Amino acid sequence: MAFLEQHIHDEPKTFVSKYLISYDHKVIGKQFLFYGIFFLLVGGLMALLIRWTLAYPGVPFPVIGNLLFPHTGGVVPPDTYAMLFTMHGTIMIFFAITPILIGAFGNFCIPLMIGARDMIFPTLNMLSFWFSMASGALLLISLCLPLGAAAGGWTSYPTLSTTLGSPGAGQTLWLLSLFLFGASSTMGAVNYITTVITLRAPGMDYFKMPLTIWGIWLTSILNAIFVPVLGAGLILLTFDRVFGTTFFLAGAAATSGKGDPVLFQHVFWIFGHPEVYILILPAWGIVSDLLSFFSRKPAFGYKMTALSLTAITILSTVVYGHHMYTTQMSPLLTQSFMTLTMLISMPSAVFFANWLGTLWKGSIRFTSPMLFSLGVVFVFGLGGLTGLYLASTSIDLYLHDTYFVVGHFHYTMAASVLLGGFAGTYFWFPKMFGRMMDEKLAKIHFWATMIPLNGIFTGMMMMGWAGMHRRLYNPFIYEFTQNLIPLNKFVTYCAITMGLVQFIFLYNFFKTIFGKNIPQASSNPWEVGTLEWTIPSPAPHYNFKEIPHVKCGPHELGNPNLTDGKDFQYQTEELVKA
Amino acid sequence: MSISFSERLLGLISNVYEISAKSVSFWESFQPPEDISSNGHLIEWLFYYTTYVNLFWFALVVIGLFGFSFLYSQKRHKKPVYTHGNEKKHLFITAFIAVGVFLSVDLVITKVSSRDMKESFWNFDDSGDTVKVQVLAQQWAWNFRYAGADGEFNTADDVVTLNNMRVPMGKKIFIQMTSKDVIHAFYLPNARVKADAIPGRFSKLWFDANKAGEYEIACAEMCGTHHYLMKAQLTVLTQEDFASWVNESQSMAIATNDTEDVNLRWGWKWGSK
Repeated sequence: MAFLEQHIHDEPKTFVSKYLISYDHKVIGKQFLFYGIFFLLVGGLMALLIRWTLAYPGVPFPVIGNLLFPHTGGVVPPDTYAMLFTMHGTIMIFFAITPILIGAFGNFCIPLMIGARDMIFPTLNMLSFWFSMASGALLLISLCLPLGAAAGGWTSYPTLSTTLGSPGAGQTLWLLSLFLFGASSTMGAVNYITTVITLRAPGMDYFKMPLTIWGIWLTSILNAIFVPVLGAGLILLTFDRVFGTTFFLAGAAATSGKGDPVLFQHVFWIFGHPEVYILILPAWGIVSDLLSFFSRKPAFGYKMTALSLTAITILSTVVYGHHMYTTQMSPLLTQSFMTLTMLISMPSAVFFANWLGTLWKGSIRFTSPMLFSLGVVFVFGLGGLTGLYLASTSIDLYLHDTYFVVGHFHYTMAASVLLGGFAGTYFWFPKMFGRMMDEKLAKIHFWATMIPLNGIFTGMMMMGWAGMHRRLYNPFIYEFTQNLIPLNKFVTYCAITMGLVQFIFLYNFFKTIFGKNIPQASSNPWEVGTLEWTIPSPAPHYNFKEIPHVKCGPHELGNPNLTDGKDFQYQTEELVKA
Repeated sequence: MSISFSERLLGLISNVYEISAKSVSFWESFQPPEDISSNGHLIEWLFYYTTYVNLFWFALVVIGLFGFSFLYSQKRHKKPVYTHGNEKKHLFITAFIAVGVFLSVDLVITKVSSRDMKESFWNFDDSGDTVKVQVLAQQWAWNFRYAGADGEFNTADDVVTLNNMRVPMGKKIFIQMTSKDVIHAFYLPNARVKADAIPGRFSKLWFDANKAGEYEIACAEMCGTHHYLMKAQLTVLTQEDFASWVNESQSMAIATNDTEDVNLRWGWKWGSK
C-alpha cells in the first residue's frame, strides 16, 4: 500500500490553541485523561453513597452527608438512591472508563505506536472531545433539576424510563447526553480505525502492531458498528417521551397505541454486550504488551493472542441475549445465546494461557505497570470464570438481578479495566508528561487497591448467591437478607478504604505533573522497543521528524544474539539473528 | 495497659459479625435461603459443579501467576528464555487448554442447563391436579388471582389477594403474569426462580413448595423509587387448609365482589398470548 506521510505544521503558540482547541492527538489524549479522572471521582463518590446506604440504611452519610442532603440530615433519600446507582453506572461506563481507556490511551498511543505524526482526521478528533464535553455537561446539569436526574437504572428500560415512570426532564437529558456521547464515540472510532489502516509506518504489518493497538483497534470497530445502534434506541425512546410516539409503550403507558418495551431491551443489548468488550479490549491489549515488556521476553503466542482477541470481538456481537433470559424469549433463542456465550471461554482460555506463557521463564521486573498488569490477570480470571454461572440459563433463573451479577460485571468491567487503566497510566506517563511518577507510592497504591477491591467484589458475589437482589434502597426489609447485614458492612468498609486509597494516586499524579524539582524522564525509561520509545519524552510536536521504518515485531526482548549491551531491540532495528 | 492492635482488630471483626454470631455460623450466613421446591437442587447442583471446575482452572491461573512471579523474578532468573511461543508444542499446549475448558465447562454446563430447562423449568404441562394463579404486578404491589369454583379466570367467583400468595403444599403451581405499568420481576428466592412481568406481555413460571410456612416474594427488576418495598408473602398451606381457604374465599367473593367494578376485572383467559 502506498504510504501516507502527514505534513508538519507550525507548533501552536497560545494557551488556547495549545491546550484547549488542540488538534494534537497527544493533547486530546490528555484532555480525555483529565476528563475521565474527574468523572471517576464523581462516580466513585456515588459508589460510596450507594455502599453506605446498603450497609447503614437510614443512617446519615459520614462527614459530607449534611452537605449533600441537608433536607434529610445527611441520609440518602430513596429517590436519590435510585438516581445515584443510575448515574454511577452511566458515569463510570461512558464518562470515566471510555474516555480513559479509549479516549486517552487510544488517542495517545495509536499514532505513537504505529509511527504516525497524528490521527488521520485531527479536526474530527477535536470534535470528538468537545462532543463528549457537551455530553458530560448535559449529564451534570441533569443532576441539578428539581425532579432529579435519570433514575431508571443505567439500562433505562422502558416503560420505567418513559414519562409514566420518570416524569422529570432528567431522563430526557440523560438520553440526549448519551446520544451526544455516542456521536463522540463514533467519531473517535471512525478516526481510530482509519488511522490504523492508513497511517501505519512502512513495514508495520498488522502482525507487527503492539497488542495495545490491536485491542484499541478491535474496540473501535465494535464502537463504530454498535454505538449507532444505541443511538437509534435512545432516539426512539426520546420520541416516545417527547413526541408521543409509542415504540416502547405498553400497559398503562400506552394511552394512544401500543409498542413493546422488550424491543428496547433487544436494541439496548445488541449494543450493550459488545460495549462490555469495548471497555475491556483496550485493557487486554495493554496487559498483553506490558506482561511481555516486563518479563523481558517476547509475548508468548503473539499471533494467537491477536487472533483470539479478534475471535472474542466477533463472538461478542452474537451473545447479547444472555442479558434477557428472564424476559422469556423462545427456548431456541435462549439456548442459542447460552451456547454462543459459552464459546467465548475458548479464545479467553487461549490468551490466558499465552499471558502465563509470557511470564514463564521470563526475568520479571516488578515495576508498577507490571504489578497492575498482573492484577488484571488475577481479577479478570475471577470475573471471566464467574460469567459461566450467569451464562447458564438455569442458574440465571436464580442469580439474574442479584448481587452475583453486580460482583461479576464489576470484576470484569470495573476492576480489570481500572487496573488496566492504572497500568497504562503509570506506563505511558513519562511519554505523556516527560516525568517519572513515584514508584514507591505507585506500588503502595497497587496493594492498597487490590486487597479491598477483592473484598468488595467477592463479597458482592457471596451476597448474590445468598439471594440478595439488586437496586434495593434497604435490602434488609426482607427476612432472607438478614444474615447479610455484616457482609454488607464489610463490603462498605472495603469500598471506603479503596476510595480513600485513590488519593495516593491523585497525589502522585498531580504532584509529578505540576510539582517542582521532579526528575525528567529519559526517552526510554522502561527499556522497551516499541516506536513511542524511540523519540524523546515527552513526545515532541508531530512525534516523528522522520517516519520510522519498522523492521521487527513489538516484543523483541531478551534476544541472546544481541551484542550491544541492551536486552531489547527497537522496532526500527533489523532483527538480530545468530 | 493499652489494648494491642490485634485485640482491637479482633474486636472490630467480632463487632461487625455480631449479628451472625448470635443466630447462624459465619459460613451459614452466606448460604442461599432454604430451598422449598423440588427443582431448586438442580440449580444448586450446576452451581456447585461450575464452582469446582472454576476453582480448578482458577487454581491453574493462580499457580502460574504467583509461581512464575516467584520463580522468574529478575533476582532469581537473570536470563529470560527467548521464545515467541509459536512452536508446535506451544500451540499444542494452548489448544489442549482451550479444548479442556470447552469439554469441562462449556459442554457440561450447556448440556445440563438445557436438560434442566427442558425437563423441569420449561415443562409447562399444567394438566392434572395443579393450581393456577394469575399475577398482576404494579408499582409497588403484587395482585394474585385464583379462578374460583368455575375454573374460569376473570369471573365473579375469582379470589383476588394483595401481596399474599397462598399455595398448597406438594402441588405444582402455575403462574401467568403481566404488569400494569413498568417491568417488574417475580422472584421466589426459596424456589430459586424468577421471571419478568412485562406490560403488554404474558410471562409464565411454575414451581412447587414442599414445606408449609411463610416465605418471601420479591421484585427483582428495578421498578422505581419504592422497588425495595415491593415485597409479598408466599404462604404455603397444607392441602386441606388451602382447600378450605379457597372454598371460604370464593363464596365470600361471590357475595361481596361488585360485578360492575371494572378495576376488579383485571384477569384474562388462561393461556392468553
